[in-house]
Amino acid sequence: MIDLSTKYIGLHLKNPIIAASSGLTANIENIKKLESNGVAAIVLKSIFEEEILQQEKDLKNEVQKDSLIYSELSETLDYIDIHIKEDTLNVYLELIRKAKKETLIPIIASINCVTNYEWTDFAKKIESAGADALELNIFLNPVDTSDKDFEKTYIEITKNVTKKVSIPVSVKISQYHTKPAHVIQKLSETGATGIVLFNRFYTPDINLEKLELTQANHFSNENEYLNVLRWIALMSKKINCDLAASTGIHSAETIIKQILAGASAVQIASVLYSKGIDYVSVLLKELENWMEKHNYNYLNQIKGKLSQEKIQDPAAFERMQFMRYFSGIE
Amino acid sequence: MTNNPEYFKAERDQEWRVALRSQIKNKERTSRERVKMPEQDPNIRNKNSLEVNLGLTEEQAVSEAQRCIDCPNPTCITGCPVGINIPKFIKYIEARDFLSAAKTLKETNSLPAVCGRVCPQEVQCEAQCFYTQKLKKPAVAIGHLERFAADFERNSGKISIPEIAERNNIKVAVIGSGPGGLAAAGDLVKMGYSVTVFEALHEIGGVLKYGIPEFRLPNDIVDVEINNLRKMGVEFITNFVVGKTSSFEDLKAKGYVAFFTASGAGLPRFMNIPGENYVGIFSSNEYLTRVNLMGAAKADYDTPVLFGKNVAVIGGGNTAMDSVRTAKRLGAERAMIVYRRSLDEMPARIEEIHHAQEEGIEFMNLNSPVEYFADESGRVNRMRLQKMELGEPDSSGRRRPVPLTSSEYDVDVDMVVVSVGVSPNPLIPSAVDGLNITKWGTIHVNPDNMQSNISDLFAGGDIVRGGATVILAMGDGRNAAAGIHAYIQQTLVN
Ligand SMILES: Cc1cc2nc3c(=O)[nH]c(=O)nc-3n(C[C@H](O)[C@H](O)[C@H](O)COP(=O)(O)OP(=O)(O)OC[C@H]3O[C@@H](n4cnc5c(N)ncnc54)[C@H](O)[C@@H]3O)c2cc1C
Ligand SMILES: Cc1cc2nc3c(=O)[nH]c(=O)nc-3n(C[C@H](O)[C@H](O)[C@H](O)COP(=O)(O)O)c2cc1C
Repeated sequence: MIDLSTKYIGLHLKNPIIAASSGLTANIENIKKLESNGVAAIVLKSIFEEEILQQEKDLKNEVQKDSLIYSELSETLDYIDIHIKEDTLNVYLELIRKAKKETLIPIIASINCVTNYEWTDFAKKIESAGADALELNIFLNPVDTSDKDFEKTYIEITKNVTKKVSIPVSVKISQYHTKPAHVIQKLSETGATGIVLFNRFYTPDINLEKLELTQANHFSNENEYLNVLRWIALMSKKINCDLAASTGIHSAETIIKQILAGASAVQIASVLYSKGIDYVSVLLKELENWMEKHNYNYLNQIKGKLSQEKIQDPAAFERMQFMRYFSGIE
Repeated sequence: MTNNPEYFKAERDQEWRVALRSQIKNKERTSRERVKMPEQDPNIRNKNSLEVNLGLTEEQAVSEAQRCIDCPNPTCITGCPVGINIPKFIKYIEARDFLSAAKTLKETNSLPAVCGRVCPQEVQCEAQCFYTQKLKKPAVAIGHLERFAADFERNSGKISIPEIAERNNIKVAVIGSGPGGLAAAGDLVKMGYSVTVFEALHEIGGVLKYGIPEFRLPNDIVDVEINNLRKMGVEFITNFVVGKTSSFEDLKAKGYVAFFTASGAGLPRFMNIPGENYVGIFSSNEYLTRVNLMGAAKADYDTPVLFGKNVAVIGGGNTAMDSVRTAKRLGAERAMIVYRRSLDEMPARIEEIHHAQEEGIEFMNLNSPVEYFADESGRVNRMRLQKMELGEPDSSGRRRPVPLTSSEYDVDVDMVVVSVGVSPNPLIPSAVDGLNITKWGTIHVNPDNMQSNISDLFAGGDIVRGGATVILAMGDGRNAAAGIHAYIQQTLVN
């Protein structure tokens, strides 16, 4: 009997596969389906600050179209942003309650935040709605050219939220940082119980026939895991919080690699879209097969086996690797 | 409602109107100043609950009526949601035939004494007046004149009770006794139907009674209208919540064949900030209802909870103005409006803002509460405000308030009234299976006849518009009455 269980941010997971935050984790039917196919935990679709603003715009447009709805002098419309936010938050809290009621696996709520103060109060409500943990998907746009100190904002948001709630808080970060090692280190010292490496962003492409900008694939491909692997391997033994790997994890082998590098769990999204939710059971089966073949009984036996724990100075290490890698090529 | 241009032209061509026009030259008419409504002194009125506006004298009314040049193309009418024949009633005032003026108003408006007091004329008829549009001068005071004619009729004791068609014993139910329900009931009873108005509260009149305060709209004015409806045969049943006391099915079993829902938008909204549940923090709905309906403002009434020394009202609309001015009248030393945009962006009527300023209300613009604090007993004693600035315009063109970082400061308060809007009460919408509801929670109807997708259910007023005005609710009620009549004729009678 192979034991795939693992601990991630204080949650006991029956295996390392977490359904990453995506459109598939936005409704109760899919959440139940994910559970029955074996995922160990679910990160709910993030609630977005921007989305609330968009809804406000849509609703206002609708008002202008509906001749019966009265808008002049209306106090309700005057505060419509606040009402929409309240309604959206209530719908989200309801999803948490429902997911908790109808499944047995840990449910991790996710907030996409860009500002510091708005969400701390909401974090408390998420906690009382029953979420087992909270993932902060802090989205600071890498194309911002101002001299705003992004790293500081990350730390401040994390600090404020962890102060307010007692459930575990993880932070999902992007790969765009001047000094990822520093940010990861700082976050772990600030109170984050876990860090998710990395979020994946919208990528533009160019259509050569129409000569226009298009949206590149929404979904990752199976080679995209390499950068994640590097940072998990580099950091997992240097910090005292858990890491979860996300982006480009499409096969059981990649899951094993991330665990070997030191991840406590993995989060998958694209593969659930491309191969279907049932594919989770295939992944689990393959994980067991690999373990069996390599004579491991417990996942913990392989966790962090290949992390670069001895590396004191990752920068020097990377420079060395770079030199060696290219030195043979002429 | 007769509102086609030929009709207005024929009326305008009547001899008496032609003669009246020739009596005073237009130049003379347009050179006069707009009348000023006599008011109670601000420092006296902010301690009593009597009406602020005292009404025009006959001389003032006639003189103001003379300002109206009786345009060939009366654009003012297009600004009136119920299409009152405005020049005609004004010219009757000029001719000193005040009862005919009142009768003209009642051709299309069942509650002129109410509308003359509370309609936002500055964005309706008066905004379309020739003076505003072409001369860039203050409009003819249409609202003041409407009130004058209606008050004259009422005080004359010669209120005309409209003719009623022969009773047909067909039962129609009206849900809610606000202006929408009252207007529908009036028209339906005139057509011969047996009309019952079901009202959840113990008082009839909806927001006219429990929302708009006495100092803007005295209750006896509303009562006169209600009594007229009673005399016409409308039956009122109070303390009756449709959907709770009885279901639609129960009512159908009792013989009601059609329903008009004008249940309003009475569900208060809050800002969802920490501490909003403390004692002493009310929605404006609850606050005004308690003060207006439950006699809570009377000295012998033991509800200290409603008296505040430092009262903050959150919001910038008419309800906020009514609440803050009520608080001042109940003895608040500091009565404050806390609003997150600037004075120019406030949705409240200019007249109300102006009156509030005169009465000593403090305006804390570009401020928004972020948290409330309470004493040991759980009663609010402090609020934390954050300063705001105006950022980019949003999709409606208004500039969005943006918080200024690290600008928080505390203000002592012992009562807070939150007045940031309402939503439709979900009871009725959820009591009917399959009823079409909009994203706003309002009932979706055909605007021509106010019929919902459930054929015997009609709706109007705030439950359809999500918070509108008295006149729009009334117009809906009349429209729905015509729709119900057509529906019954088609389905039952034929
Ligand atoms: C404080 C305040 C000030 C205002 N000032 C102005 C103003 O100056 N000018 C202006 O034009 N408009 C003003 N308005 C808006 C105006 O009063 C409303 O738009 C109007 O009253 C709507 O009429 P209605 O008939 O749709 O509903 P309402 O007047 O809200 O009446 C609805 C009635 O239905 C009853 N009801 C609800 N559910 C049920 C049920 N299930 N069974 C039985 N009865 C039920 C309620 O108790 C209520 O009496 C103001 C509103 C407020 C709150
Ligand atoms: C359709 C879609 C929606 C997503 N929505 C969210 C989201 O709301 N919040 C979030 O943190 N990540 C979101 N993601 C990112 C995923 O959680 C994940 O981090 C990313 O897709 C990389 O993992 P993958 O390679 O397994 O897809 C979304 C991804 C997809 C494909």
